[in-house]
Amino acid sequence: MWYGTNLQRSYKYMMFSKMPSLRIDQSDLKCKNGCDYFGNPQWQGYCSKCHREQLQRQRWAEKGSSTLPKPEQKKESGFKLTSHSSFSKFEEKRLRQSETLKKANLLKFSVFKKSSTDDHDHAMERKPPEFKIPPMVNEGMKRDFRLRFPNLTPQMDRDARLFAHSFIMDVIKCSNVMTVDELSERVQRQYQRFMKHMDSSSHFANVEPDTKELLMDFVEKHAMTYLHELPSVVFSPAGTEDERLDRAMSERIQQLSWVGETHLECKLDRTNAACRQLLYKAISELLGMDAALSPGGKVARVRRACRHVLALCGAPASADDLLPALIFTVLKANPPRLVSNINFVTRFCNAQRLMTGEGGYYFTNLCCAVSFIENLTPESLNMDRKEFDCYMAMPASIGGSAWAAALSLCGASREAEEQRLQVENLMAETRALKEKGDQLAVNAESFEKEIAKKVQDVLAKTPLEIKPRRELPRLGSLTAATAALIDLEVDKLNPSQINNVPKIEQHESIPPLVEQEPLNTNKPKLCPDLHNACGSTEAQPKNLPATSTNLQENVTQIIPQNQNYLESELIVTNIQYQDEPIITFSQTPEDKSPSRSPLNPWEVKQTSSLELLTPSPLGFTPFDSRSIDELMTPDDFGSEQVPGLSNVNYDIDLSDFSGDNSLAEDVPREPKDPFSPDPKKYYPFEARDPFSPILDKFDEFTLVDTKTNETSGAFEVIHRASSSRDPFSPVLQESFSLERDASLLDDSHSPTSTSLLPSPLLPQTSKTNDH
Amino acid sequence: MYLNLAFRTHFTNMTSGPYNYSYIFKYIIIGDMGVGKSCLLHQFTEKKFMADCPHTIGVEFGTRIIEVAGQKIKLQIWDTAGQERFRAVTRSYYRGAAGALMVYDITRRSTYNHLSSWLTDTRNLTNPSTVIFLIGNKSDLDGQRDVTYEEAKQFADENGLMFVEASAKTGQNVEEAFLETAKKIYQSIQDGRLDLNAAESGVQHKPASPGRPLAAPPAARDNCAC
Repeated sequence: MWYGTNLQRSYKYMMFSKMPSLRIDQSDLKCKNGCDYFGNPQWQGYCSKCHREQLQRQRWAEKGSSTLPKPEQKKESGFKLTSHSSFSKFEEKRLRQSETLKKANLLKFSVFKKSSTDDHDHAMERKPPEFKIPPMVNEGMKRDFRLRFPNLTPQMDRDARLFAHSFIMDVIKCSNVMTVDELSERVQRQYQRFMKHMDSSSHFANVEPDTKELLMDFVEKHAMTYLHELPSVVFSPAGTEDERLDRAMSERIQQLSWVGETHLECKLDRTNAACRQLLYKAISELLGMDAALSPGGKVARVRRACRHVLALCGAPASADDLLPALIFTVLKANPPRLVSNINFVTRFCNAQRLMTGEGGYYFTNLCCAVSFIENLTPESLNMDRKEFDCYMAMPASIGGSAWAAALSLCGASREAEEQRLQVENLMAETRALKEKGDQLAVNAESFEKEIAKKVQDVLAKTPLEIKPRRELPRLGSLTAATAALIDLEVDKLNPSQINNVPKIEQHESIPPLVEQEPLNTNKPKLCPDLHNACGSTEAQPKNLPATSTNLQENVTQIIPQNQNYLESELIVTNIQYQDEPIITFSQTPEDKSPSRSPLNPWEVKQTSSLELLTPSPLGFTPFDSRSIDELMTPDDFGSEQVPGLSNVNYDIDLSDFSGDNSLAEDVPREPKDPFSPDPKKYYPFEARDPFSPILDKFDEFTLVDTKTNETSGAFEVIHRASSSRDPFSPVLQESFSLERDASLLDDSHSPTSTSLLPSPLLPQTSKTNDH
Repeated sequence: MYLNLAFRTHFTNMTSGPYNYSYIFKYIIIGDMGVGKSCLLHQFTEKKFMADCPHTIGVEFGTRIIEVAGQKIKLQIWDTAGQERFRAVTRSYYRGAAGALMVYDITRRSTYNHLSSWLTDTRNLTNPSTVIFLIGNKSDLDGQRDVTYEEAKQFADENGLMFVEASAKTGQNVEEAFLETAKKIYQSIQDGRLDLNAAESGVQHKPASPGRPLAAPPAARDNCAC
């Protein structure tokens, strides 16, 4: 299948020998009659049915035209020629194409249009009598009319379209039987007819003469654009020499590529960049003439080209300067299908337009230039015949290289310019995108703040109230169930809220920092806190350092330890920095990156537990809240020192310890610690991190471990570090950890101990953090 | 200028001015290179000497609306290349010219000597009703005169041409040359010698007021114009 289409394509390419079109699409393979069947190159691009009809029509036309003048016969010979020499023809075309391609490369001629050149092969082709103009033409006219003449009435639009329609039909009908000149005359008469119609019709009664001319151009444009697309009807029509002349002209121009500005005595300066640029523009316009479909469009291109040429000539330019410069431009441009284009315009452009007006004037100049090139002799260049012959014998590629180089330079610079523009556009786009991104970031930030604030507000408005549940009997059955529930919660909440939580997290953890000062000064406060914390490990499990894990018995041990520690520290270090602490503490979590990074895992954990802690304000489902409530109940009992419930507490606490431990592990000085057992002991906790039911069995052991090592270890590490290090940073760290401990204690104090009273600290601290 | 008070001329803005002219006349200016064709054209359309305004580009095509016998006429003047070597290819310029201004330089005899070949071309390539006007340019350089007025006048009379010596630099007689030509063309329209419907006539008729019948204006003014 693939091979088949490919073959067909190459065939098609050979037989139809189109001008280089960048792509051959499906429609190119279809029957040329547009009957939706696939065409076959052997049937000249028709499907079998259309081809048969076509042949019949041809025979009929040949019979009919035997009495007509020669062009028809020429047509026939052309047809015969193609039937057996398609390959040589192809070779010829290939040459031309390579030429054109070269030009295109040189000048970046951007509009490769599919054109109906070289329709020699099927010169006999005619449109079938039942031919209908595709509605697209009509639609296009309608649209264009509205665009161009918004002030004119629909009647005029209709008139114009009607005329264009009848005009096209007439031309197609007549093209079968008329010579080109007859057809041209007929077309001209049609133009006049329409002009007269406009002059006499009441529809056009109050239309300015110039608008009428525009209307005339409009009709001409649309009719001719369509006819131009039809092969061999108006553009290089059958029975003319146009194509041969095209080739001859192209070859001739190539041969004359050595002709320079001096030969033509025109004042062009190759070294002048502006001059080169103008010449380049002029050439581009000339090349664009082939792409324009209507005579008016082609003339407009020529006009623009000539304007550039005129500018090229210098300030006070006259026709004496224009013509040689234009000749030079044409020589350098070698526009494709030049003769066909000129003949097309001469025959089918509104004659009035062509004879008057600027476009007509410049087009006339182009005609002069072309005919000059055609008839160029040594005399016309003021040159010795010998020298001239010498030049002409020269291979085409040698001559004119300087200008070719200059022009290619121009092309390159043009390309560079285009690319620069493109890059600029891209940069502008990028900037816009970046702005949008920034905006988005700002929005996100403000949104985040807003959400945080709302959450804080909600939290402040509805402080966590945990109603103690005193039912003992449920606990036994709950331990297993709650563990699972907690697991779920952690899993659920952690990933989704990692981003949002840290802020809340900080609020929770930082307030204590601020209150570090009172803590330092009023040590006794710690003790109740600690007591509460121990009892309410659940409330703030993550915050609690080693101390919080303990049983009630341990608390008593810990407190002295803490006190001792605090006392010693405060005496040794904190007193010295007593003025600073507030600032330093508050800064530590934010500025100290090393201290912060270890915090993260801890924080995450904390968040999860925090979520556990604050289910109702965040709008959890009753189920969740209930489970948490159930979780809380043991704590309450714990705070009330119900010995049997301690198991539950430990499970939860352990997880938090692991978090704490990770922090401790991250601190680089730990290895130096003489009380090195710490890490080992932490491992089991970490492993047990998820609230697995297995923990139940380990509880007693772990308890012992935590008791002994953790309490001492946590504090020890910090202590060592602070003492060994330089006074400033260690203090911060130590104080940070200290304060964290304290904060944990504080926090833990709030939900549980004051479960019935609104905690005085929490809302305030959160606020301070917020700001 | 002083001769033709009846033929008031006035400028109209090309882009926005009233377009209610009735006719378009196509002129061509022919003559050897350097006789001042472009300068004459520039002087007529812009009322300036070309060398005085060096920034002017593209004076080879000019239009101006004049008034002849109450009819507004748009003149379209095509400058042509005068080089000998282009002589053979410039014939398409002549197509459809209603008036031809043949210019020579009174300070260069060679330009005068070429007039006969220019005239032959013009006669061959235009229709019989085309008005040919001979202009001896650079009359301001009287000291360097190489061709006498009488000699040229005699040449003009022999060939049935209108003749004037003018100066593109001072503007002397420039208007007259163009206006006299227009007047002559208009006359031949009214005489019926010039077929308005022929594409080659070089004249386009545009009914100024849409309701007016086509043939009316020339016929109605037949008597009063001369």
